[in-house]
Amino acid sequence: MPPTEDPRLALLGAIIRDPTTAALAERDWPAVVASADLAPADRDALLRLSPQRVLVYRQLVHNRIANATREFLPRCAARLGPAKFREAITEFVAQRASQSPYLRDVPGEFVRWALTRWAGDRDIPEYLGDLARHELLDFDVRNDPRGGENATGEPLALDRPLRFDGSTRLVRYAFAVHRLSRDPKDHGAPSREDARLLVFRDASCKVRYLELTVFAGNLVEALLVDALPVGDALRRVCVAGEHGLDDQQLADAAHLLADLADRGVVLGAGA
Amino acid sequence: MTLPVPVGVGLGLRSAFLRDVDRGEAEGRVAFFEVAPENYMHRGGRLPKRLESIAGRHPLLTHGLMMSLGSTDALDRAYLRTLKEFLHRYAAPWHSDHLCFSGLDGTLLHDLLPVPFDRGTARRIADRISFVEDALGVPMAIENISWYVELGNPHYAETDFINEILALSGCRLLLDVNNVFVNASNHGFDPFAWLAEIPLDRVVALHVAGHEPWDDTLIIDTHGADVRREVEEMLHWVIARCGPRPVVLERDAHIPPLPELLAEVDRIAAVYANALCRWNETHAPH
Repeated sequence: MPPTEDPRLALLGAIIRDPTTAALAERDWPAVVASADLAPADRDALLRLSPQRVLVYRQLVHNRIANATREFLPRCAARLGPAKFREAITEFVAQRASQSPYLRDVPGEFVRWALTRWAGDRDIPEYLGDLARHELLDFDVRNDPRGGENATGEPLALDRPLRFDGSTRLVRYAFAVHRLSRDPKDHGAPSREDARLLVFRDASCKVRYLELTVFAGNLVEALLVDALPVGDALRRVCVAGEHGLDDQQLADAAHLLADLADRGVVLGAGA
Repeated sequence: MTLPVPVGVGLGLRSAFLRDVDRGEAEGRVAFFEVAPENYMHRGGRLPKRLESIAGRHPLLTHGLMMSLGSTDALDRAYLRTLKEFLHRYAAPWHSDHLCFSGLDGTLLHDLLPVPFDRGTARRIADRISFVEDALGVPMAIENISWYVELGNPHYAETDFINEILALSGCRLLLDVNNVFVNASNHGFDPFAWLAEIPLDRVVALHVAGHEPWDDTLIIDTHGADVRREVEEMLHWVIARCGPRPVVLERDAHIPPLPELLAEVDRIAAVYANALCRWNETHAPH
């Protein structure tokens, strides 16, 4: 993206996004104005402004981004604490900011930006990334434009993949964040465990969560994420488990797929 | 298909009371609802279903948030395509957005940022409005915003700037009288003199809202309080001169329960009815 063509817009944008420029504006407004490539008349007009008035826009933008993010990630924000959360928002706006015209996308943009940063920060609980993803998940599934498609009318067959409801997600966490209290004031830590959840929006538009066993998780991953035919998916799960497919596992798989069909998650055989 | 344009006092539809409206709790109480398409575009689940249901029972007008008409960035064609689908689905008679910029260098700042009042900016915005009208296939209206600083050396007053854009683009005006009040209060001018400089025949709709103090010298257009009497007087002044129009009550912060909002709609509607009587007196057929 080429730099802004209008230096007046660029100056306001820099004050809003860049903490160094904002701090300098408070300390030495003429220096900030002088650093912009302004026409003399614009420079003179801007020098007459109160920098505090200009900085109002920085606060308005940051407040809006912070409020939207906190609304979607209340438990994450509470665990970070007000200062650390605000610091993260400041850095997010400076380094990345939003690239979506939809305000509701901002929390997801924030989390994608934050995940790698948090991973290397010893002051951040190790599970916070999983919790952030989990808090976002509910909103994502609830509002996914996909979902509610009709059943295919095709019976399940070993040589064909399955069609899933478009809102369906398979998520995997290293911590059982899905069992944490929903109360933002409760800062309890989750247990470390390999958790797999199947998440979907049901016919009444409610978001449903199914905790899967390792076997079911691997099978759903092969069917949903990799879109393998049912037979291939079963074989892959057996290879991964380093054992043959026994009668119990076949029965478990049949039961799982029937249950998912009953819930409207599996819509039938796909193409 | 375009439906008849509603007139009278409507309400900005918000998720905080969407369910109540869908249950019929505003039935017969508002002339129409105004919706922000961005809240429903690219979205599935319950919210768009509720909007669909509400649209079957109430006229809708549309008012966007993120077109960023004043930006130097290219217009977002994907956004415009989705917006066009939305506007045609709900038979919007026009679509409005703000006279501001919200995006810069590929990022979106999700606020209404001021543009310089100069000729180059007016031409750029007018060109972008024409482009958008072609892309959307519906007429555009621009809304005057609350601005807290003047960004650079103005070539002319805000009213002249707006008039220039209206003349160059042929678009319409969504007149936000609260924004006029906020600017008049913050920058020290007479809001009625401001209104007198605007071509009222180009006004297709009005916004009213409340505002809140930032500090001792600045008020902010938060849509977080009841509409003040001074703003009602400005609404009266405009309607008495331009006649029936859709008037939208906006509330985005400290949103009270729907019955309280509807009571405020009633209060605004009384002001509107009174102003319309005045307009009828001067426009009655002889």
